[in-house]
Amino acid sequence: MVMTQKQRILAAARGEHLDKLPFGARIDLWYNYNLGHGTLPEKYKGWSEVDIIRDQGAGAHYRSLPMIKEEYHDMEVIKKDEPPYITTEFRTPLGSVCKKMAFTPDTGEYAPYEIENLFKSESDYPIIKYVLEHTIPVLDSEKYSKARDEVGESGLVVTGATDDSPTQRVMREMMGYDRFFYELMDHPTKVEELIEVMKSLQRKEYEIAVKLDLEIFNICCNWSDDIHTPIFKKYFTPWLQEITDFLHAHGKLSMVHIDGENRRLIPFFLDTHVDVFEAWTPAPMTMVTNAELKKALGDKATIWGGIPAILFEPTCSDEEFDNYIINLFKEIAPGYRFIVGMGDNEPFDGKIERVRRVVELIDKYGTLPIEI
Amino acid sequence: MPKVRGGAGVLSQDSKGVCLPEVWTQVEEVMSRSLLSQAVIEGDWDEATRLTVRVLDSGASPQDVITQELHPAMGVVGEKFSSGEYFLPDMLKAGRAMNSALAVLQPLLANTDIASVGKVVIGTVEGDIHDIGKNMVVMFLKGVGFEVSDLGANVPEERFVGAVREMRPDILGLSSLLTTTMPAMGRVIKALDVTGLRSSVKVIVGGAPITQDYADSISADAYGHDAGQAARVCKELIKR
Repeated sequence: MVMTQKQRILAAARGEHLDKLPFGARIDLWYNYNLGHGTLPEKYKGWSEVDIIRDQGAGAHYRSLPMIKEEYHDMEVIKKDEPPYITTEFRTPLGSVCKKMAFTPDTGEYAPYEIENLFKSESDYPIIKYVLEHTIPVLDSEKYSKARDEVGESGLVVTGATDDSPTQRVMREMMGYDRFFYELMDHPTKVEELIEVMKSLQRKEYEIAVKLDLEIFNICCNWSDDIHTPIFKKYFTPWLQEITDFLHAHGKLSMVHIDGENRRLIPFFLDTHVDVFEAWTPAPMTMVTNAELKKALGDKATIWGGIPAILFEPTCSDEEFDNYIINLFKEIAPGYRFIVGMGDNEPFDGKIERVRRVVELIDKYGTLPIEI
Repeated sequence: MPKVRGGAGVLSQDSKGVCLPEVWTQVEEVMSRSLLSQAVIEGDWDEATRLTVRVLDSGASPQDVITQELHPAMGVVGEKFSSGEYFLPDMLKAGRAMNSALAVLQPLLANTDIASVGKVVIGTVEGDIHDIGKNMVVMFLKGVGFEVSDLGANVPEERFVGAVREMRPDILGLSSLLTTTMPAMGRVIKALDVTGLRSSVKVIVGGAPITQDYADSISADAYGHDAGQAARVCKELIKR
């Protein structure tokens, strides 16, 4: 019986041997931009993102928002939506904290950026702690269910209970990298207390989300070497182990989104117990080659990615594109535990027909075990 | 009188080879300066403050402390960052140590000029609101002695052009994190061409999706893969 795109991606994620390389293409950046600007190719005007991927012959990597929303109790939350900014103020009995997010007009809802972080000074610790302790996670799976229905057997909906792990949320979302490192130097106990409160909240979120039918949970995003290796080992690894083991106990897999420069973190990847390292972005966009990551992970974890986004740019010739993909196959041979994909997205001005070209090259050279 | 060459000059000795008492002040200065550089490289800001006071007490000029100790120390930090030995927090600690030293020196620098390595105008291009990478580059550039005007994030091309026209920088730095915004770098360079300003300024580009090939394709003068490398490349651009 012929396996569906979804079955093929899941099988590779589980480490099962397939007859040829699976391909999960992510094009939401390209799709949202061109849909918003009215510049979708004539043929695809009126088409959905998933239908375009189907037409290109690939499996879908379909990103959806986290399945848990957070509701706030015993405080006043004032949200101002003034595009492209959303300002949220939390007024608690201990004082107020405020954050301001910006949504870039071209990337849609998945790429907010903190213009103003929630944490601004030492006096904010007890207030943020209060906010987290009075946050109730609630199932919000409507978008996920809709996406799952839409994607069907054509690929995988990529989502999770929450986007980031507890330390990553404190580091990236609440404080910003630089302030986080300064705070860890000046007030380590307070930072650690905040991370612990965040962990408690996320444990509740996973208890709810694990009951859904999602097979692979994204458990942390946007890794790069900016996450200091000692900090990764101390604050990230134990949590990733805990949640992955929790998910395994419920028959699920874990995934992390690693679309940055990771050459210094890679030696620690396997310690996390994580099953799938997704959005893998190799050289020339980072300093690490496909061969180097494959060698580091062996057959102990699955890589999803391997094609740097800039290869889809018109500045890259068709010949260069083909050569890169064929070389990718050689680098990862024999090719098990690998899902071909973008690191991390089809660029807004990328050549969409190259998705089909990847499918053709997999048909020609991607039979497993790879022997080219 | 025999002389011993030290880090900061030549030390006088008596006929038995023993340094004369007044020379100990020089020895003290040499040692303190070396330790100050090390404190900045290691990101020990308390030690950097203490040693800066000590170096000044031993007679060093504030200008020399900055140009001969602090700037080279930050250069070393940049190299360690590029090579993978140092991480972002190491760099932030070093930056804080340098600022601690500068806080001691600053009151003594009133009405004095420290020669700048060069002038840089920098910003993240229009449509892109990310600034972590750009901020790191700014920190390194200042650390190695550049005068930096940071235009911030989401900067329209006309503002870059206006800044080049008004500030006459040696270098224009363009940053982009997104593939959606990287073409804006090329548009800024073209706008400099159209306005006749291109030949007056070197343009360096950087950011996660940027490569040397891409930099070449938009006719940038240089590409910096990371903040440490960007500072080194800027120093090379100044020499061209």
